[in-house]
Amino acid sequence: MPREYVVARTSEIPEGSHRIVRVGRREIGVFNMGGVWHAIPNLCPHQRGPLCEGAISGTLGYGPDTDWKLDWVHEGEIVTCPWHALEWHVPSGRCLAFPDMRLRKFPTRVDGAEVRVIL
Amino acid sequence: MAPIVQEQQSPEQDTLESLFVVDADVHIHEDPAGMADYAPSPWDVALREIAKVPERYLDLPGMSPRAEYRVPWPGGSNRKQTVDSASEMRSGLNDLNVDRAVLFPDHLLALAMVRDPRFAVALAQSYNAWLRDHWLLAEPTLKGSLVIAPQDPVASAEDIRRHAGEPEFVCVYLPASGVRPLYGHHVYEPVYEAAAEAGLPVVMHSVEAVYPTFPFQLEVFQTSLAQHAVAHPFSMMANMISLLETGVPVRYPDLGIGIMEAGISWVPFMLNRLDKEYTERRREVPFLQERPSHYIKRWYFGTQPIEEPENRGDIVKLFELFDGAERSMFASDWPHHDFDHPQYVFGLPFSPSDRRAIMGGNAARFFRLEA
Repeated sequence: MPREYVVARTSEIPEGSHRIVRVGRREIGVFNMGGVWHAIPNLCPHQRGPLCEGAISGTLGYGPDTDWKLDWVHEGEIVTCPWHALEWHVPSGRCLAFPDMRLRKFPTRVDGAEVRVIL
Repeated sequence: MAPIVQEQQSPEQDTLESLFVVDADVHIHEDPAGMADYAPSPWDVALREIAKVPERYLDLPGMSPRAEYRVPWPGGSNRKQTVDSASEMRSGLNDLNVDRAVLFPDHLLALAMVRDPRFAVALAQSYNAWLRDHWLLAEPTLKGSLVIAPQDPVASAEDIRRHAGEPEFVCVYLPASGVRPLYGHHVYEPVYEAAAEAGLPVVMHSVEAVYPTFPFQLEVFQTSLAQHAVAHPFSMMANMISLLETGVPVRYPDLGIGIMEAGISWVPFMLNRLDKEYTERRREVPFLQERPSHYIKRWYFGTQPIEEPENRGDIVKLFELFDGAERSMFASDWPHHDFDHPQYVFGLPFSPSDRRAIMGGNAARFFRLEA
């Protein structure tokens, strides 16, 4: 049975920032990206590095989405693992280097001033 | 890529925590002002001047001339990739379950590319003395590699003899990036004589650099992916061939030889290639009594950066191709950008005895460490 956990107040995670919260034995990165909330495990599947301690940035893209030109993409949506710099697209949970790998994404809900994560 | 998350427990109940783990390659960050206290005049003045210069990762003007200029995109790893004290190192290694570690430098990885040979010698000698006092004596589980300045093998041999017998040092470090001539050249004989005399193995370790000598003319590439992919293994291949073609392992049969930070998948290729050449061209190297692989299989190899194939069993097969389980040493390269966590190597499907050897036993033998 999924349960909702209050993990922060909205004012504690302003737009463009994130923080790591603990729910039971889990560490979860909670991100506020332009008012849209995301929650992912603080665990990189590569070598179990503390993924959400990494920096947020954009990254370089090149493909059909950029009209086959080198471009700066996903600004503010990429978290980079501090251990080995593997890049993850937070909104989709997708690993940029290995498209088959996806992070588990926990549903979130804002209730008044409370940010809740559903596990 | 196969996810690497797995249980740390192997079938025979060894755990990473219970094993004796030796890390054959970790990096300490130099303090130029601290080294200045050990440098002869006028080089102490130069070191204090360097201490005023803002530095970047493995890039300190005057001390690490790697000539590597990347496009500065934002993002990337935000982890601190330097370790500034023995206690900070011990704390980081505790988190990795490492019991003993061999220290290599940061900036002095580029020592062979320092232009002024007198300054290179001063850097090496002051580093060795500073390292002993501030790191090795402060934390006995950390062991030192005694760096040489290849620009002056005679002075380097004197420094090896100066520190011979100090149990804090467990090997002689041969900086390989940009080194010219390669380490098989006869000019290095004083170094090998002094190392053999001191009972210290020699260890070659490179660093990514762009430099006008083989195999570092890496300006031909556009990206650091390309440059870094080849910088370490090509450098180790070149020096391996050089040592073989001049018979260093024959002339110094008791000298231990180690290779760091090049991964291991190139080693079977190199052995097979050299053995093939030997069948046709033996007369050029008549001092070799056996095929080249006979000698190289006595060398020791750091595991990092360990390859990460889809099928982790492929790593075990690669080790079998050069008897690697008997001679490979776990190395993390902590705290650098591409460090390997010991849980990955520990979790590879080796036999229990091979796993123990690779995680610590082989390094304990090579560096003569006590458990």
